[in-house]
Amino acid sequence: MSAEQLKSAWTDQDTRALAETLADAVARAIESEAPENMTDDQARRLRSALSSALAREAVLDTRRAVRRFFEEESNKERRAVKEQVKADKEADSVERLSLHIRLQHMVLFSSCILLIVTGLPIKFHDAAISAFLIDIMGGPGVTRILHRIGAIALTFIGVYHIYYCMVFKEGRKTFDLLIPRLQDARDAFHQIGYYLGIKKDRPLFGRFSYIEKFDYWAVYWGMVVMITSGYILWFKDWTINAFGKYVFDIGREAHSDEALLATLAIVIWHFYNVHFNPHKFPGSLTWLNGKITMEEFKEEHPLEYEEWEAAQEKGGES
Amino acid sequence: MRGPVQATIRRTLWVTLLLAACAVAASAQEDVRCLSCHGKPGFKKTLPSGKVLELFVDPTSIRLSVHKDKHCVDCHADVSEVPHPSTPQKVNCRRCHYNGNTAGAPQLEKYVEFEQSVHGKALAAGNTKAPTCQDCHGDHFILPGSEVRSQVYRTHIPQVCGRCHLEIFGQYEASVHGKAMLKGNPDAPVCTSCHGEHNIRQAKDQASTVSAGQVANTCAHCHSKVVIMEKYGVKAEQVATYNESFHGIANEFGVLTAANCASCHTAHDILPASDPRSSVNPANIPKTCGKCHPGANANFANGRIHINAKDKSAGIVYWVALGFKILTLSTLAGLFIHIGLDLFRKAKDRKKHGGRGGAAHSENKP
Repeated sequence: MSAEQLKSAWTDQDTRALAETLADAVARAIESEAPENMTDDQARRLRSALSSALAREAVLDTRRAVRRFFEEESNKERRAVKEQVKADKEADSVERLSLHIRLQHMVLFSSCILLIVTGLPIKFHDAAISAFLIDIMGGPGVTRILHRIGAIALTFIGVYHIYYCMVFKEGRKTFDLLIPRLQDARDAFHQIGYYLGIKKDRPLFGRFSYIEKFDYWAVYWGMVVMITSGYILWFKDWTINAFGKYVFDIGREAHSDEALLATLAIVIWHFYNVHFNPHKFPGSLTWLNGKITMEEFKEEHPLEYEEWEAAQEKGGES
Repeated sequence: MRGPVQATIRRTLWVTLLLAACAVAASAQEDVRCLSCHGKPGFKKTLPSGKVLELFVDPTSIRLSVHKDKHCVDCHADVSEVPHPSTPQKVNCRRCHYNGNTAGAPQLEKYVEFEQSVHGKALAAGNTKAPTCQDCHGDHFILPGSEVRSQVYRTHIPQVCGRCHLEIFGQYEASVHGKAMLKGNPDAPVCTSCHGEHNIRQAKDQASTVSAGQVANTCAHCHSKVVIMEKYGVKAEQVATYNESFHGIANEFGVLTAANCASCHTAHDILPASDPRSSVNPANIPKTCGKCHPGANANFANGRIHINAKDKSAGIVYWVALGFKILTLSTLAGLFIHIGLDLFRKAKDRKKHGGRGGAAHSENKP
């Protein structure tokens, strides 16, 4: 029986009975211990007085003990339920993003954050917060170095990602699934139709929905623009000598404008889809452990789920 | 008929006039004693070094100056007898021109500023060549700077400064500013327009108006004013575009090695880019940029320097900026609409099902 059921079945009568038994047992236990110079009658009366006094006290103590017992019992049960739910969820989730993918994402977002905090204060140099940010980071000399460290990390991960997409089996498969297809346009119209109430159901997504594909290719475009223009600016003397001052100016304009576009797209779009969407708030740990619950899996990537299930069954048979 | 009252008035008037005449005569008497020698044209003295010291003083010059009511000994206070046995000391203007003097000499911060200036500091350090008040303002014929005959009237200033700064005077005279000034253009800057007057400091002093950190603001006094610049076909946004450039931003954040206006345009030799002698003439760009960007070649001139991406004159940069503007606005509009529709549908489902909106999702589970 659960703690709650036990508690409701328990009456004060039970407490009293328990207390009386306790007092009785104590009284009986000291029967033989009566002082020798007492008459039997005196000893009997002493035991009786002792017994009734004990019974009175025992009722109060027992009540307290019983209450504490039930409290602890229900706490223990609640904890166990919580852990069970967590364990069930854990057991009922699947690793959708491999460690290889997660690590690439981590390097990408770390370098992006570093580049944004050291870069945007230059674009918005008139804002008071820009001077403050540059100041706490150690001045323009330091932020310039930090920005270039971020640039090297971003370039590395960009180049590595292309290598990953060409050399690794997982990379080739993932890249193939990320290529935009006509179905994505259909899905987008379908989704908007659903939002407006024209369509009854939502489109069924595979491994990557058109939303995720947009995210991926937006980053792709951003990387190409930012890295190219960034190196034009970094090696300014060489680029001006080789191509002319106007190439530097184009690079600067593109770097500045795309920086803002990328930052806004990440803050608005990516953060909404993975953090601020009411279904996700305040964000999942998928970026860290790569896991997605079965419920989310079925709901957000039904076609991929089907494939996964089929593969599981096939794997189980063989 | 003359009444006794009129007689009294007339008498009083005569006495007053007489007394006034006596007072004038008394002080004039002092000046007359000085002028008995110094009033003779050609009065001079040959120093042992061979240098001839002109000692003639035209008495009318004082009478026409701001010090017309002063007498010789008011300033040459150490002369008590005539002829004076020793050479009188150099006149110290601070005898009257100090803050708090109730005698009516102008009381301005300028006199304090001078002490902090490069000239004042040099003077205090014992540099005998350092200028004192008289070197710029003159000695006997001192007039306010607003008067054309004044030695410190704006068009006379370059010559005054040029007496010591001869080489710079030559550069200035040939520059676009100097030439305009010589033509009598009232917009043209003179030395003090950029360097200040009594508070002139060395360019390496950060408090100087021509220091690396401040020179852009100093140029902006004229170069950001459309009413002035449009007369000469010069863009009034040059300082603004500099402030938006990497040079300007670095300067703003305290990197004083970054180029400022004078780094490229020079300080005194400023010439239009069309002039082949100009430091910013396309032919000279590699040399000018090369001061900081070693190995700069002719391609440094291949493109504009002061770029305003919002203006069509920026050429391809304008189109790149416009392209990104359209891309950014359309992308963000699309994203916001998508998010808005998503939230709209979720809110609708929540209302309908009373739950978290999750009920709608279960409808299309595979």
